[in-house]
Amino acid sequence: MSYLNPVRLHFAGKFQANVSTVNNDPGHFDNQAFIPSYQELGNGTTNGWFNPQGDATWRLLGCTVTAAWLPSGAVTSSDPVLQCIVADSDTQAPAKLVDLDSEQQLVSEIWGMQVRIADSSGNTLMSGDFEPAAFLDIWDRAIGAESGGDVDAGATYQSVLTNLKWADVSASSFLTALQEKAGDGLLSIKFNVDGINMNFQSPDFMCGRIVGTIGPATTSEPQHMVLGRQFMAEGLPSANINFFSPVGGINFFPAVVDQGAGCIFLDLGNAISTNPTGQLNDLGDLALTVAGSTTPIGTIPSTGSGGYASDPTWYSRTAGVVALPLTAAQLSAIAAAPLTLASSLTLATLYASISEWPSGAFVRADRFVYRMSPGSSAQIAVYATQWGQPLAGASLTFTQDPSQLQPGNFITNDVPPVGTPTTALNFAATVTADGNGLATFPLNVTDPGTPRYFNNGLDYGIDGQVYGIRPSFTDPQYTTGPVNQWNFISILLWSGFTASDPVTWTDVEPIFVQYGNLYPVMSRFLNLGNYDSVVKNAALLSLAFGLDPANPNAMPVTRDLSPAKRNAILSFLANPQMGVPKAAAEAVAAVAPAAPATSAKARMGGKAQAAARRLVLQAAKGATS
Amino acid sequence: MILLKPELLDRLTAPATAQDLWPALQQAIELEHATIPVYLYAKYSLDPAKNGDISSIIDSVVIEEMLHMTLAANVLNALGGAPAIGQPGFIPTYPGPLPGGVETSLIVNLAPYSPAQLQTFLDIEEPEDPLNFPVQRVAAAEAAQAITIGEFYATILKAIGLLGDGAFVNPPRNQVGPDIMQESPVMQNAVVVTDVATAQQAIQIIIDQGEGTGTSPDEIVGTFGVAHYYRYLQIQKGKKLVPVPPDNHLAYAGDPITFDPTGVFAVPANPTSAGYPTGSAQRFACDNFNYTYTSLLLTLHSLFNGQNTQVQFNTIIGLMMSLKGQARAMMTGIPNPAVITGPSFEYQPVNP
Repeated sequence: MSYLNPVRLHFAGKFQANVSTVNNDPGHFDNQAFIPSYQELGNGTTNGWFNPQGDATWRLLGCTVTAAWLPSGAVTSSDPVLQCIVADSDTQAPAKLVDLDSEQQLVSEIWGMQVRIADSSGNTLMSGDFEPAAFLDIWDRAIGAESGGDVDAGATYQSVLTNLKWADVSASSFLTALQEKAGDGLLSIKFNVDGINMNFQSPDFMCGRIVGTIGPATTSEPQHMVLGRQFMAEGLPSANINFFSPVGGINFFPAVVDQGAGCIFLDLGNAISTNPTGQLNDLGDLALTVAGSTTPIGTIPSTGSGGYASDPTWYSRTAGVVALPLTAAQLSAIAAAPLTLASSLTLATLYASISEWPSGAFVRADRFVYRMSPGSSAQIAVYATQWGQPLAGASLTFTQDPSQLQPGNFITNDVPPVGTPTTALNFAATVTADGNGLATFPLNVTDPGTPRYFNNGLDYGIDGQVYGIRPSFTDPQYTTGPVNQWNFISILLWSGFTASDPVTWTDVEPIFVQYGNLYPVMSRFLNLGNYDSVVKNAALLSLAFGLDPANPNAMPVTRDLSPAKRNAILSFLANPQMGVPKAAAEAVAAVAPAAPATSAKARMGGKAQAAARRLVLQAAKGATS
Repeated sequence: MILLKPELLDRLTAPATAQDLWPALQQAIELEHATIPVYLYAKYSLDPAKNGDISSIIDSVVIEEMLHMTLAANVLNALGGAPAIGQPGFIPTYPGPLPGGVETSLIVNLAPYSPAQLQTFLDIEEPEDPLNFPVQRVAAAEAAQAITIGEFYATILKAIGLLGDGAFVNPPRNQVGPDIMQESPVMQNAVVVTDVATAQQAIQIIIDQGEGTGTSPDEIVGTFGVAHYYRYLQIQKGKKLVPVPPDNHLAYAGDPITFDPTGVFAVPANPTSAGYPTGSAQRFACDNFNYTYTSLLLTLHSLFNGQNTQVQFNTIIGLMMSLKGQARAMMTGIPNPAVITGPSFEYQPVNP
């Protein structure tokens, strides 16, 4: 079970993602080179981009339940769930949106979010803790958006809600049914985000649109992916693409065939492009066909009543989820044959199409973002499926792949590298999936050293290293279509760190100074670079640094910190000592900032800027220059 | 001086049961809370780089008001009552009288710091017989009937004695004691209430810190040296209150405290969320702030109604820090320097 279920609700509203942007530049981690203008608003290399004062807050705003479904069909207005809101917590600080790393900004995770279904007065009917999750499948969704940056981006989050608490929901047949289906104490939640506003003069600054779905989940399934049919998009090669643009006009999406309900659920929530105002583009009626037949087994109309393009309420009412009824014969026909969703328009320029791989196979890590300390290990759950079913016994291959990571520095001769040393990651090249298609991929890590210190390793820099590991099928006969560039495991591996005993200001000063530099929001509370100010606020800092990273009260910086550094800070705060200052190393001779070699869109900053730094693009440029 | 409605004492003079004290203690909680938005609004309106001393003094009072709220809640809980905090009417309307206050008495504004607002603070905290300073009495007819805060708390003290130990729940019930608030030195003065002695100790701390003792402005229990009124008076006098040799009597003779009028952000008085246009950046910021503030009240309600844990207290600290960060951003034009917003401290359980 997942949100793609006969029992589900859809919601729509706005989100706020008030991320800070000083840390978007890897070069800003260089304490020695840092200058005050890096904290100021403005695009380009000598300032802090579009939201330097961001506080990392992630909020759900004005989200209402737009529709709810039971096996018998859509619930009617007599069910009070249709007057409900979907809100974040009213009993803790707002959730936080956090990048993994300055050189891997394309898997931002939501931490510390509680999701509530509440009546229109805010009284909670259900609350659950959102298992931290990163976005996936970011693409250039808004076609023709002029202003650049991340304004045209769309992406998707999928996770589960845990620690469910239910009030008396007996007045709602829908919520009663949902509670009954949540016997494992889990709900599945998926939402799509797009249309972020990057104009600080707009009331909607750092806000965008969110539409989503909540349905049941079980403990026997992955938390962040659908075990289903996977429609795979090929990317358009073009210099003017920020993230990803599908050749066929339709982005990656999953589907679930429900034998019991006699239908297929397609999740087009992050698959159909929009115009610059967020209206879904008309790709024509979308017909679902199975290989070997041209007769559609179902059609999603674009126009007329309820058309996805013509009905302005369609997206918020459905969150892009479409259920197409299937006959027994159709269920049988599609069981082991690739599906295609294609537009009925015949004009070549508008023709849209996306298919499953001919093999029907798919492999992905459930959770794909990890923070690890030297000497630790992770058991990473990777699922292999074919036609939406477990691919029992599949042999899976794992390879280091830094191609989508984003190294960069405007001081061009001092770029912190990514993915090195490769020897810090130890893992078996192949792992065999069990009878449920589940491979447990063991990853052991050792100290990477400090490969991202500046000035030839002399000056404090970015902690540890980021890596990418891509899973694939060992047997090439399975890999029969386009590979999703975003489908890999991101790892932030922290450097080993040993402080003196007792821990002194000399040990922790570079850490505090760097955070004071990168997060101007902290100046609302204290001066992190000043010994006296830190000591004066030691009690509060101890509290903040001592919290679980999943706690929304944890400062954003906490999640950048290795446990070793966090413990050193706590030790220092418990007994502050000045220590002996270290002599500064001679600064590297800086090369003047190069003219940005990125597209006009990327120059506005944000994820687009990071995406333009990806190794895969740098390599392509290198090959042609 | 605040004058309270005399009916607050109705059930206190000859209490038959613990329940007779509940309304007065609930009133005390509301009263102690009601000054916090007013003080915080003024504090956040100050640029700490230019008016750091004044900001620190206000801060020291605010945190003791939080302690007083806790002390009143502990007494109420020990008498079997239930503090009601997470509800719309809990927050006073500004401008307006403080909870329980006589309406022709002091009208309190949510306003940026100014000498006039400081006078309001002094009026709020003014003891019955301020040492060496004249008292400005309200002239309204009903004032003759009104009671002072001193009388209010003194009557509660007496009523607690009349009830006797038997009225108190022991072992401790829903008590928020120093053990769960270890991060805060001020909160180490919280009292776990289980009998007449501890209840009177709790109320006495509110009296002493708020008004000072009858003969001296010194706090008996506290971290900041002198009672609130005299602490604020330092700002008006422009000098810190320090012991002066040879007999160490207190005098406003310490380091200067100067008010820099250029160090006050241009925030409005008595903002309301509804007063900002729908869809405006100000409305958005105000709504977010109020939603967080309401979350704080709901969380405090839980803290004082059985969720008296360190985790809950830490959650509350986190909410307060979030409010501080939001208020500072709103008042200093972040993200847009052209847009300044006053956080309105309103009950708002839904973020639109």
